[in-house]
Amino acid sequence: MKNKQRLHKHKNRAQREITTSVVMLLPAILFLVLLIAYPVGKVFHDAFSYTHLVNKSMEGFAGLENFKTVMRDPHFTQAIKNTVVWTVFSVAGEYMVGMLTAVLLNQKFKGRAIFRTCIFIPWLVPIIVAGMTWDWMLNPNFGIVNYILTQLHLVDAPVNFLGNKSTAMATVIFVNIWRSFPYYTISFLAALQSIPKDLNEAASIDGAGMFRRFFSITMPQMKTVSLVIIFMHLIWTSINFDFIWVMTEGGPNYATETLPLMIYRYSMKKFNVGAASALSTMMIAMMTILFIFYYRMRTQAANDSN
Amino acid sequence: MLGRKACNRLTKLITYILLTMISLVCVFPFLWMVITALKPETEVRQAVPSLIIHQPTIENLLKVLFDTGFVKYMRNSFVVASAATVLSMIIAVMAGYVLSRYYKRRIVKLSNVGMMISQMIPGVLLLVPLYITMQKIGLLESYFSLILAYTTFVIPLCTFMMSSFFDTVPIELEEAAEMDGCNKFTTIVRVILPLSVPSLVSTGLYAFINAWNEFMFGYVFLSTDKYRTITPAIMLFKGANITDWGGLMAASVIAVIPVTFIFLFLQRYFLEGLMSGSVKG
Repeated sequence: MKNKQRLHKHKNRAQREITTSVVMLLPAILFLVLLIAYPVGKVFHDAFSYTHLVNKSMEGFAGLENFKTVMRDPHFTQAIKNTVVWTVFSVAGEYMVGMLTAVLLNQKFKGRAIFRTCIFIPWLVPIIVAGMTWDWMLNPNFGIVNYILTQLHLVDAPVNFLGNKSTAMATVIFVNIWRSFPYYTISFLAALQSIPKDLNEAASIDGAGMFRRFFSITMPQMKTVSLVIIFMHLIWTSINFDFIWVMTEGGPNYATETLPLMIYRYSMKKFNVGAASALSTMMIAMMTILFIFYYRMRTQAANDSN
Repeated sequence: MLGRKACNRLTKLITYILLTMISLVCVFPFLWMVITALKPETEVRQAVPSLIIHQPTIENLLKVLFDTGFVKYMRNSFVVASAATVLSMIIAVMAGYVLSRYYKRRIVKLSNVGMMISQMIPGVLLLVPLYITMQKIGLLESYFSLILAYTTFVIPLCTFMMSSFFDTVPIELEEAAEMDGCNKFTTIVRVILPLSVPSLVSTGLYAFINAWNEFMFGYVFLSTDKYRTITPAIMLFKGANITDWGGLMAASVIAVIPVTFIFLFLQRYFLEGLMSGSVKG
C-alpha cells in the first residue's frame, strides 16, 4: 500500500516535470518551428517547383530545372571558387591571429585589460560600419592607407583595392579577418586559462623551450575548442552576406560574388525564388556534409581524451 | 645562451610590441572614422590625409542627425532591438531553466538538439521564405518582421548562456522556496532571477547588440523610410551621396556610440557570459 502511494507520488512528480518542461519550452519551440523549420521546408519545396516572387502565374513541379538554371549561370563555378577562397582564407587568418593574441594575452603583465578591450572592439561594431570605414580608408584618391603605402614606397601609385579584380577578394578577406578574429581570441583565452599551470612549469624544468611547450602542451589541449570554433566559423563565413555586399556588392565584375550573394541576386533582383531555393538547398547539403565530418572528428577527439 | 631573466624580459618586450601593433590596427579605423566625421568637407577631400583636424566642426554630425533622419533611424533601431531583447530574454530564461533542470527528460534533450541545429542554419538561406511569409501575413513594412527575425536567431545562444548559468544555482534554494509554498513561476521570479542579474545582463547585451548590428533583414524587409533601422540607412546613405565621406563617417559614429558605451561599462559580464555560452554550444 505504502509502495503504491510512493509510486503514485513519483509518477505525479514526473508528470509535473514534463508538463512544466513543455509549457516553458513552448515559446522557444514555436519560434524555431515557425521561423526556422518551416522556412527550411519551404526552401526544399521551392527548389523543386517554379516559383516567382512577382509573376505568380509561374508555378508547378519543376523537377531539377531550377538546379539546371543555376548551374548554367556563367558565374556559378566562379561563385563556388570564391566561396571556398573567401571561407578558407578568412578562417585560417582569423585562427592564426586569434591564437597569437590569446597566447600573448594569457601572460601576466601590466595593461593587459586595456589591450584586451582594444582587441575586442572590432567585433563589436556593425559589419556595415566596419565595411564603410575600411572602404573610406582604402579609397584610392583620399584614403589614408594608400597615402601611407605610397609614402613608404611600398606601392608606386595608389591602388584601387576594392575596385580592382585582382585585389578585391584579398581586401575583403583582410577586413573580415580584422573584424572577426576577436571572437577567437576570447574563446581561446577562456580555454588557455583552464590549462593547468604546473604542466607548463614541469615541461619548462625539463628544458622545453617556449615553442616546444606551445606545440606539445598548449596545442593538444586546445583541440576541442579549435574544432568547435573552426567549424562554426566555416559555416558562418561561407554564408556571410553582409560583409561582401557592403564592401563590393559582389563586384567588380563578379570577382567577389560568393554563393550567398548569388542567392540574393536570384531572389531579390531576378525574383526567381525557385532558383534561389535550389542554391540554398545546395548550400544546406554542403553544410550537412561538413557537419557529419565535424561530428565524427568531435567524437574521435572525445574518445582520444578519455 | 640567454639567462632566464633576460629571456623573460625579451618575451615581455616582444609581447608589448606585438600587442601594441595589433591594438593599433584594431583601434585606428575608429579613430580615423571619428577624425573624418569632425573634419570640414575641404579637409576630408585632401590628397594628403592628416591626423590633425585644423578646423574641427560638428557640421557633419548635425547634418546627418537632422537633415537625413538619423534620429528617426536610431529610434527605430532602438525600438526593434529593445523589443527583440525583451522577447528573447523571456523565452531564453524559460527554455534555459528547463534545459538546466530537467535535462534527463527526452523532450528536453530533443529540444536541445533542435536548438543546436537551428544555430547552424543561417539567415541568408531563409531570407526568401521568411520574406514571403512576412509578406503574406502583412508584417513586411513594420517593426514586427524584424523583431520576430532577430528574436528567432538569438534564441539558441541566449538559451545556452542562461542554462549554463542556471547550472551553477544550487537546487536547494528552489526546494526551500517550494517548501515555503512558492510555485514554479514565483520561485523563478523571486528566487532565481535576482541571483541571475550578471548573466541576464550579458545575455541581454548579446541579444541587443546582435539586433542593433544586423543588416540583411533590415535591408530586405523594410523599404519604407518610416521604419528603417540604422544599418540599412547607412548603406543607402552611401548610395545616395557617393562622395560625402564626412557625412558617412558621422553616420557611422552615431551608429557605433550606443553599443560602444554599453560594452565599455558592462564588458566584464559580457565577455564571461559569451565564453560560457560558446563553450557549451
